[in-house]
Amino acid sequence: MAVMLWAGAAPALAQVKLTFDKRPSIQVGNLLTAGIRFKSQLDFTEFPDEPDTPSKALVDLHRTRLGVEGRLMKAFEYQLEGELGDSAQPWRDIYIQTRPFRDLQVRAGQFKIPFSLDQLTSGMDLDFNYRSLAAAFLAPGRDVGVVVFGRVMSETVRFQAGVFKHGGDNVRESERTDAQADRTYAGRLVVRPWFAFDNLFRTFSAGAAFTSGVLPAGPNGVRGKTIPGDAFFQHLFVNGHRQRIGGEFQWRPGPVGLQAEYIRVRDQRFGQGIDNQDLPNAYARGWYVTGTWVLTGELKRDSVEPARPFLRGGVGAIEIGARVERLAAWSPGVNDGSFSSPRAPWVMPRADDVWTGGVNWYWNYYVKLQANVIREQRREDGRVIAGQGDLWSETFRVQFGF
Amino acid sequence: MRNRTSPPLVATVLLVALWLVAGHPLVAQSQVDSLLDGSSLEDLWVHLNARDWEDLHTHYQDNTYYPADVEWRGTRVRNAAIRVRGNASRNDHKPSFRLDFNRYVTGQTFFGLDALSLDSSWLDPSMITNRLSMLLFRQMGIAAPRVAHVRLFAGASREYVGVYAATEEVTPSFLRSRFGEDTGYLYEFNHLENDNWGFQDPGPRLGWYVPRFSPKTHEFESVANLYMPIRDLVQRINDAPQSDLESHLNGYLDVNAFITQLAIQNFVAQTDGLVGAVGTNNFYLYRFAGKTLSVVIPWDQGNAFGSFGNGLFGPPPWWNVETNVLALKIWNEPKYRARYLAALLQIADLVSADGWLLAEAQRDYQQIRDAVYADAFAPYPPSQFEQAHVSIQQYIRMRPDEVRQFVASLTQ
Repeated sequence: MAVMLWAGAAPALAQVKLTFDKRPSIQVGNLLTAGIRFKSQLDFTEFPDEPDTPSKALVDLHRTRLGVEGRLMKAFEYQLEGELGDSAQPWRDIYIQTRPFRDLQVRAGQFKIPFSLDQLTSGMDLDFNYRSLAAAFLAPGRDVGVVVFGRVMSETVRFQAGVFKHGGDNVRESERTDAQADRTYAGRLVVRPWFAFDNLFRTFSAGAAFTSGVLPAGPNGVRGKTIPGDAFFQHLFVNGHRQRIGGEFQWRPGPVGLQAEYIRVRDQRFGQGIDNQDLPNAYARGWYVTGTWVLTGELKRDSVEPARPFLRGGVGAIEIGARVERLAAWSPGVNDGSFSSPRAPWVMPRADDVWTGGVNWYWNYYVKLQANVIREQRREDGRVIAGQGDLWSETFRVQFGF
Repeated sequence: MRNRTSPPLVATVLLVALWLVAGHPLVAQSQVDSLLDGSSLEDLWVHLNARDWEDLHTHYQDNTYYPADVEWRGTRVRNAAIRVRGNASRNDHKPSFRLDFNRYVTGQTFFGLDALSLDSSWLDPSMITNRLSMLLFRQMGIAAPRVAHVRLFAGASREYVGVYAATEEVTPSFLRSRFGEDTGYLYEFNHLENDNWGFQDPGPRLGWYVPRFSPKTHEFESVANLYMPIRDLVQRINDAPQSDLESHLNGYLDVNAFITQLAIQNFVAQTDGLVGAVGTNNFYLYRFAGKTLSVVIPWDQGNAFGSFGNGLFGPPPWWNVETNVLALKIWNEPKYRARYLAALLQIADLVSADGWLLAEAQRDYQQIRDAVYADAFAPYPPSQFEQAHVSIQQYIRMRPDEVRQFVASLTQ
């Protein structure tokens, strides 16, 4: 690679071209293109006071990312992206990909494991201020690995399959620095049956995904948090394999968007009892249903671009949306009252039901304002937990990026 | 027709009554009394996963909790938590532990206790100095934890892991049993390295208090709520004229109780207490609910009864008083010094009157001797254990007269 770069460098340097089309870019002949990406999100939050938890920050610089992406010698595409607010582990996406065949691409490096539509959506393109709890905590997140992906049958079917060094960085805060899960396989298949037709269902897609990975013994069960970020179910001691299955659906007829997803995680717990006995598997499950409507009429896309930008003769694009979701965890077995320890045979079912309503105001390509009102109701063993049946949060986000 | 109560109904009523009585707090209290009163060497079995037992030793410097069940006299309390505890005594050979009974189950207790400390007595070859000191505190009317020895068994295979001193932790259950309330503010004092603090006023910054006083209740309240009252107390101690401590500290600190604690620690040669060699150490502070009044609760008196050197069993009454602002004021003011010396004499009389403390020391020795000999993890050889007990018993015999002589020399 270095030799090829060196060989092509001299004539290419004579053809350096700087451009600014929505973002600054540089092109060095046929050798290299590099587009600068910047993402920032500033959140203003009002979370409910909860007993035994520290008070939350009212202002949070949620995301400040700088990246570069482009092509290398035409045959390769690459992306580098880092979080400026994370000095310990700043790197997010670092990968290179190529297309050895027309319908097949190969990507290697660090990137999101192909699982969960919501998790794979860029944080700048979310319909709400926060990802669904299912995607945020049950999807695996990023890891180092290799994935093949492509589109076949006139792009009716999209597939992704890969193998990863560990199990993703979503399971624990410290997973980036101290990964616990071992090699993980993942696959995702999405079908768009009417993609080739020019009708209302053209954007309809449905898919399924799985991951399977080795889970070493330890307190490495999946975590669950509430909207304000407090632990809702803690890491259980696990040992064996972790399997995820997921189903997804998306349909965007005109300005309207509908999306839903279901994720289930199963962790084995061999030899994890207090007296070294095997414990029943631990399960976590999450789902959400989302509906959005761009009131100003623009087509619903991942990132809505206003037809008439704000302050340039228009009001921008205004979108309203609502989401209903649930995150739950449990283990089967008989209620023996031992639910609350991380080595408990029977884990009492816990669930967080969340309703989110929001307004998105897209000023232009660069700026988006998002306001959400969120209601939570938390349950234990089917019953609403005292004092946690009607918790309200308000969040407001100012987003700038290109 | 005559009404007859059927035998099954009677049995049911009796069973329900038994269940209600067994679950009553007073019954639980009396049960735990027999664990902590030291009348017998009890067996305590901590059930925990083999990997956790290994991790507790490998990562003994961490405060990570592991799930455990605790069994005593056939009753198994589930969903407890265990972690390694201690500061200078932390080790991976025979670590001390903290059992927390309501970490995973809110409100769960072990026969009325929120938590229990299992002290390996790593720095005490006799293993009894903390227990004897706490006995003396309680005998003198100071609220102090109970300590008793247990044989500890661990893991599914019930491995014998040695003799431990089971110590009642200073927790809400302790506060309820001693003060009848637990809604005030409880702090554990943390001695920082090279920080020989003795109530000197560090200035107005509340941040100074944060690392030194860990809140054990109201943990998530604001720094102002937590620490302004401690700052006020410290400032009052510093501002109070030594001639009239009581009226200036009235409603903030019981000066007489402080004098008694000072006297006990001097008597037992506790060199890591209120006037310790490294400043003030080993205490909890509890501020009563809705009041400014605080009380000092002694903790970990494990290095008491040590040889003091220079031909003395224990220190002279004035030893190290200059290291603590309040102790120095007490010493410098004749009327408070007189009370302090009187307290020392009272302790001397208590200890020597009927050989009470010596009897306790001898009973402790007999109680744990065989178990210590069988303890494969004991940090000291049996010869050192024996020698330590000889020294302590001699200390208890000789110290009262030594104290009396000191006091006499000062009052002549």
